[in-house]
Amino acid sequence: MTAKPAAFGASDKLTFLLSLVPFLMDHDRVSVTAVADHFGVSPQRVRDAVNLIAMSGVPGETRQYLHGDLFDIQWDEFEANDNIVLTHLVAIDDSPRFSAREAAALIAGLQYLSALPENGDRDAIATLMAKLTRSSTGAPSQLAVSRTDAYVTISVIQAAVRAGTQVEFDYLNSRGTAEHRCVDPLRIESVDNAWYLRGWCHLREAMRTFRLDRMSELRSTDVPADAHDDGVLLPDTLFEGSADDLTVTIELPAAALELLADYGPVPVGVGAAGQLSRAQLRVSHFHGLKRLVAGLAGVVTVVDPGQARQTVADWAAAGAARYDEPPAEHGGSAERTSA
Amino acid sequence: MSPTPEQPHPVTVEERLFSLVLALIATQIGLTKTDILSTVQGYRQRFRVGADNASLERQFERDKDDIRELGIPLETIESPDDPGSNHHLRYRIPKGLYDLPADIAFSPDEIMLLKLAAAVWREGSLSAESRRALTKLNSLGIDSSDPVIGYAPSLRAREPSFEPLGKAMDRGQVVAFLYLKPGESEPRRRVVAPLAVVLHEGRWHLYGADQEAGATRTFLLARIVGPVVTVPGATSQRADDGQGERALAELDALWRAQVALITVEPGSDAAVRLSKRGAPGRADGSVELHYTDVNILADELAGYGPEVYVLSPPTLIDAVLQRLRRVRDSHAALPTPGDEAAR
Repeated sequence: MTAKPAAFGASDKLTFLLSLVPFLMDHDRVSVTAVADHFGVSPQRVRDAVNLIAMSGVPGETRQYLHGDLFDIQWDEFEANDNIVLTHLVAIDDSPRFSAREAAALIAGLQYLSALPENGDRDAIATLMAKLTRSSTGAPSQLAVSRTDAYVTISVIQAAVRAGTQVEFDYLNSRGTAEHRCVDPLRIESVDNAWYLRGWCHLREAMRTFRLDRMSELRSTDVPADAHDDGVLLPDTLFEGSADDLTVTIELPAAALELLADYGPVPVGVGAAGQLSRAQLRVSHFHGLKRLVAGLAGVVTVVDPGQARQTVADWAAAGAARYDEPPAEHGGSAERTSA
Repeated sequence: MSPTPEQPHPVTVEERLFSLVLALIATQIGLTKTDILSTVQGYRQRFRVGADNASLERQFERDKDDIRELGIPLETIESPDDPGSNHHLRYRIPKGLYDLPADIAFSPDEIMLLKLAAAVWREGSLSAESRRALTKLNSLGIDSSDPVIGYAPSLRAREPSFEPLGKAMDRGQVVAFLYLKPGESEPRRRVVAPLAVVLHEGRWHLYGADQEAGATRTFLLARIVGPVVTVPGATSQRADDGQGERALAELDALWRAQVALITVEPGSDAAVRLSKRGAPGRADGSVELHYTDVNILADELAGYGPEVYVLSPPTLIDAVLQRLRRVRDSHAALPTPGDEAAR
């Protein structure tokens, strides 16, 4: 159910045709490859579009699409030298406006970016948003994004990426183990409000992804980072499976499956009581599972295996037990829970 | 030397749409449907004089919608002699409303920012909208300044309700959906005129006029279960500007006004993550956490099990404790088959 970028369809092709005409008009002579680079499309897509434009036009007085009613190019230059020279224009000579949705998508993207250290110039961004609003057909739909709060961490890492130096920090993994890590930072990625550092971990000697909110004592160093191949992206699901994953069966209302989309639940039928669905999850250990299930009280129940149920029950029981007696003065060090 | 369009070749969808846009921009007075079907490239090849052209007419209706979805202002003009008649309706695209306003210009830095903003949407329908917006921007021929390296910020809207809600907002439609309110276990049907969709504290919210309550309400998209359907016949005013800002301001005000005091187990996941988000409380090891919804915060805090102890407010203590007990009890050792009757 993961949404993928939509395929390049007729709407995209039409948009490209309408955008290419004013661009060609502004360039007396331009190579196919230069156009392809500028628009970020393949040279063949440019050639196809130019062929189509050069044969298109309006019905005209005679309603026969006569020569003067059509766009024209220097065909020799196009066919022999892969250059585009537009010699006759029809009907359009300017860039089209944005649709309300297009403007809304860019405005929401800008709001998200405005939280980042490099793009902190709120005035410039506000000006840009106003321009987008004026450039769209109809008011942009109301899509808004609030600021994020990982600001400081991001700017430290960002500076290290620029300088090509290592960063170090204490990292608490999902099993609850803290380790000191030295990392060659490659890029910062985010998904909504969760921020990740993707980099080469010198402790594990492998590419690793770290959640920024699990780091403490982050600092940059003078140690140069090693050279690495870039181009690695976070996987679509946050949890990559491995061969020694454990399979857990859970019960939940069918509609609530969407709440667990990140974990890739596989439906396996109807629950014992008849009203609930059963699904299987793959988890690397039960420590992540107990946190997940305790955070979805009344929605998700673990059915199997028994050890997973027990881990969840113990976790919740330990949490509830803290309220059985008045807390020791919350001085921190005096408090201990059964761990 | 150009190949003439009279040569038989299959007319592609984009060629038909492109020809339709050109024809409708070129006309001042507008074209009737018959004009279009009988003369415009892609239609005229299939038009039969004096015969039934119903399927071609339906094609034209769909093409009109597709063109409007791209932000192209395709207008319908009624004939002054024959108002109300479909037969004499004229269609056109006013060039002044089609063209990007002449005084709009973007600097290389702005183009760079807009490219980054478009890349934020990496999946789903908004990635396609962003891509088309970038194509239009590229037509201006402005080169972008160098992009910021090492960044790949992205927004997701995994929730299936995101797209239908956006469409309903654009079209001023009222929608209905089943909503599983945080803290409740049974979903309830809600009828809402959507006003804005906003991301606040990492969660997508719908801000809309609840038709039964007769007031604006905020819904979590993640808690909309099942499909979002439009309510036939019901329309709402298209949301005016600033609804998104208003929704965020309301959520912010709520967030500021509500604060929980908790203690976190030193060195635990809760200590590392929650301490970053909150402010240190007066007591050592305590954290002040602002929140918008007591049930959502209770869900989150219950997930930390014994790592978190809630000091205040009492409603949050109750909500967390109730969740922990519920999880504990629902995961008690399963009865053996012989005990089934005793449950």
